[in-house]
Amino acid sequence: MNVPLITEANELAIAGVDISNLSKRFGDNLVLDDISMRVKPGSVTALIGPSGSGKSTLLRCVNLLETPDGGSITVGSQTIRAGERVKDKDLLALRRQVGMVFQSFNLFPHFTVLRNVAFPQERILGRSREEAEARARVLLERVGLAEKADQHPGKCSGGQQQRIAIVRALALNPRVMLFDEPTSALDPEVGVEVLTVMRELADAGMTMIVVTHEMQFARDVSDHLVVMADGRIIEEGDPAEIMANPGEDRTRRFLSAVLER
Amino acid sequence: MGDALLIVLLGLPMTLLVTVLAFTIGLIGGIPLMLGLRSRTRAVRLACRFAVDLIRGVPPIVWLFLLYFGITIGAFRLDSLSAAVWGLGIISSAYLAEIYRGGFATLPSGQAEASAALGLGRTVTITRVLAPQALRTSLPSIATYLLSLLKDSSIASTIGVADMVFNATMFARQNPTTAGIVPFFIAAAVYLVISIPVAITARRLDTRLRRTH
Repeated sequence: MNVPLITEANELAIAGVDISNLSKRFGDNLVLDDISMRVKPGSVTALIGPSGSGKSTLLRCVNLLETPDGGSITVGSQTIRAGERVKDKDLLALRRQVGMVFQSFNLFPHFTVLRNVAFPQERILGRSREEAEARARVLLERVGLAEKADQHPGKCSGGQQQRIAIVRALALNPRVMLFDEPTSALDPEVGVEVLTVMRELADAGMTMIVVTHEMQFARDVSDHLVVMADGRIIEEGDPAEIMANPGEDRTRRFLSAVLER
Repeated sequence: MGDALLIVLLGLPMTLLVTVLAFTIGLIGGIPLMLGLRSRTRAVRLACRFAVDLIRGVPPIVWLFLLYFGITIGAFRLDSLSAAVWGLGIISSAYLAEIYRGGFATLPSGQAEASAALGLGRTVTITRVLAPQALRTSLPSIATYLLSLLKDSSIASTIGVADMVFNATMFARQNPTTAGIVPFFIAAAVYLVISIPVAITARRLDTRLRRTH
């Protein structure tokens, strides 16, 4: 895994993400309350906070898996404003820019590993089957899973499945990657395999927003730490600084709870 | 005995024809109905739900009578085979729509989400990502339905379709002193001979698909 995940220079057209005054309700419940946040191109932002704080919902708003009720989101040069109807074309354009990795991997179980990575390329980038599969094999090789290419995801461990999911998203040349608790469903020693790949991706200069409980990753890899509680950002800044010296009581309690586990 | 066997077997092609045609109509007709049941538009959902419940709420034999005796436009009237095929076909559409819907409902929501997040459109998501998985989970129910349709096709005999049961009944009536229940035993045996291989094949297919999953 020494080869960087992204070497093709022209493919690394990175974008930043600008979230302003974002709000989201589920029924009467205000899950995101006037969130504003800027993610610089090529930076890694870690989102932490107790469960129910709205961090996953915030992440899912970035690629419109959730529809925000107020505010706006800008990815690269594309802006989506809440309340305006999003055309299918714009929705697909946004999702083309943004790759996402889920806690539960969500590989397609009826496809082989290779088809999981190649099929979206054929449909979305219009690549031929040969081209898409060749690209898929290269990427699988880079995360050490070349020999799994012709198996079904069900035969792979959780850590392997999550690395395949990362590769599936990367194969589409996203300009931003979202990670929604990518290691929470994994045993710690398996989670490391996934974190290693994410670290390489960060080193390669990918813009990343990561919802995580992995404090070491947040401190060592992320450039910016955002702490959420009750649908609001309660604190943000330099990860090491906040962890050493939390400015808010809520942050302190959360950090000590996570670190004591 | 030999005569009874021959006469009942002469009805076999008709039994198979009614079953296969009705099943085919159901397999195809179930798709738009299932999409309607999953529609984002409430009115469409309600209309399809109403249609499915209406079709399933009335006994098949009553539907066949309604179609066969009820549809007369001028001199036009459905012949008994068409009435049986379309009647059972429409009923199959309703049952299979419900089976398809159940197959989709068991899929984890993450599948559709992952597909959307990758940027795949709604149609590709349904046809290439969700449907193949839903079909696999519904396969045992679809096979079970086929078996019950094979047997239910015998109600076509009540409107004069010359299937196995029709022929068995005729034979019994024409030979009241000698035939007894023999023709019906023969019909039962033939139904079993067809059903059992279908059931075995379905089970094998199911285990094989589960393994690759």
